[in-house]
Amino acid sequence: MSHFLRWGLLSLLFGLGVLWVLSRPQPLTASALPGHEPDLANGEVLFHAAGCGSCHGQPDGERARGLVLSGGLIMRTPAGRFHVPNISPHETAGIGAWSALDFVNAMRRGLSPDGRHYYPAFPYTSYQQMTLTDLLDLKAYLDQLPPSAQVVPEHELDFPWQLRRGIGLWKRLFLDAEPTRSMTKQQDLLARGRYLVEGPGHCGACHTPRTWLLAEDPARPLQGAPAADGKGRVPGISAAQLADWSVDDLNYYFEAGVDPEFDVVGGSMVAVQENLARLPARDRQAIALYLKTPR
Amino acid sequence: MRSARQPQRHTLSRALVTCLLLLPLAGPADHHDPIAERQQLMSDTREALKPLIGMSRGQLDFDRETVRASLAVFARTADESRDLYPDGTQSGGDTEAKATIWSDRAGFNQALTDFSEAVAAAQQADPQTAEAFQPVLRSVLGTCKACHDGYRVDKD
Repeated sequence: MSHFLRWGLLSLLFGLGVLWVLSRPQPLTASALPGHEPDLANGEVLFHAAGCGSCHGQPDGERARGLVLSGGLIMRTPAGRFHVPNISPHETAGIGAWSALDFVNAMRRGLSPDGRHYYPAFPYTSYQQMTLTDLLDLKAYLDQLPPSAQVVPEHELDFPWQLRRGIGLWKRLFLDAEPTRSMTKQQDLLARGRYLVEGPGHCGACHTPRTWLLAEDPARPLQGAPAADGKGRVPGISAAQLADWSVDDLNYYFEAGVDPEFDVVGGSMVAVQENLARLPARDRQAIALYLKTPR
Repeated sequence: MRSARQPQRHTLSRALVTCLLLLPLAGPADHHDPIAERQQLMSDTREALKPLIGMSRGQLDFDRETVRASLAVFARTADESRDLYPDGTQSGGDTEAKATIWSDRAGFNQALTDFSEAVAAAQQADPQTAEAFQPVLRSVLGTCKACHDGYRVDKD
């Protein structure tokens, strides 16, 4: 073996080793969890804010809905077909056997209980901003929903997307727990709005354009993006783009699904609006206020 | 020969010219443009919705007659929409109709039936107060949303 070849091979192995280390899962440990008495009512609010049922509910045509989180909806993407998992409290088919720590690691670190990376089709880049107590409340709420025994098949992805380990590298770049804007303590309602929009609400998952690495572009938050199904555009909802909407207009839209031009909501926003309609009025107000506040 | 054929040719060309002149008049009456018609129908529907939203938001006083008139427009929308999405009108005219209307005609017709039934129930309920009107409006809007979800592409 020539000198050159040997060094080439060694460098390649070294490079792969570095990638392997960099892509390793980084779970939270049990010591991170606070002692907490779960609040089911808060869990229910978060369930609707996070839109869990709109992906994990029972499939109904192109949509999923309801409180039986059987999964089974198929999401067709350029990377292949994702089968939305069962997250009902069923012991084997669902996530009934998960510990609180397992749940927190899924939501904040995008990790399965056995330490595999989840694909970011599951919007943990947003959910990571949720507080630990909120996550524990949400888990308690999910735990008391009806179990479903439906077994969902594995994702069917094209090369190179089956290589889950690579997601670890992607997370290194894009999984940071920082909100996009800082707030002062006085801005309570605004801070609540930001939390709901950027955390559980994951509005940016559809409304923020993505970079070539498929991460939400931090330079263009909520400024509108091509629709994921390739048909039409998801409108921008930055303060500048909502100039013609008053806070009241937004509030009414969230509550009833009719915009200031008297158009009735359509497409994938229907499910989101119906989730918003189930939130406490104060939370809808907080979201409206936050969206209307210029950066 | 020549003289015998000339008057006939004259008649023919005159008929042709007459036809050509009449064509623009006949055009709009015969020419059926489902895309334009359904867009107009949706636009009428939106106009009829305006005062109802005003009442729902407390910006307008509740008015029973206005509600009845708007519901009548909605009933017409549900009824006429059925025939305004024929084959061959899947695209063009800036249509926002989704391909599912043609691939899932039964589902589309069911959505129209749901709309029609919700409107009929609202007419039956005939709300007399602003409070009674809110849930009636919501149930009609629910059927608008269902159809806009499955069978419309949002272009803006």
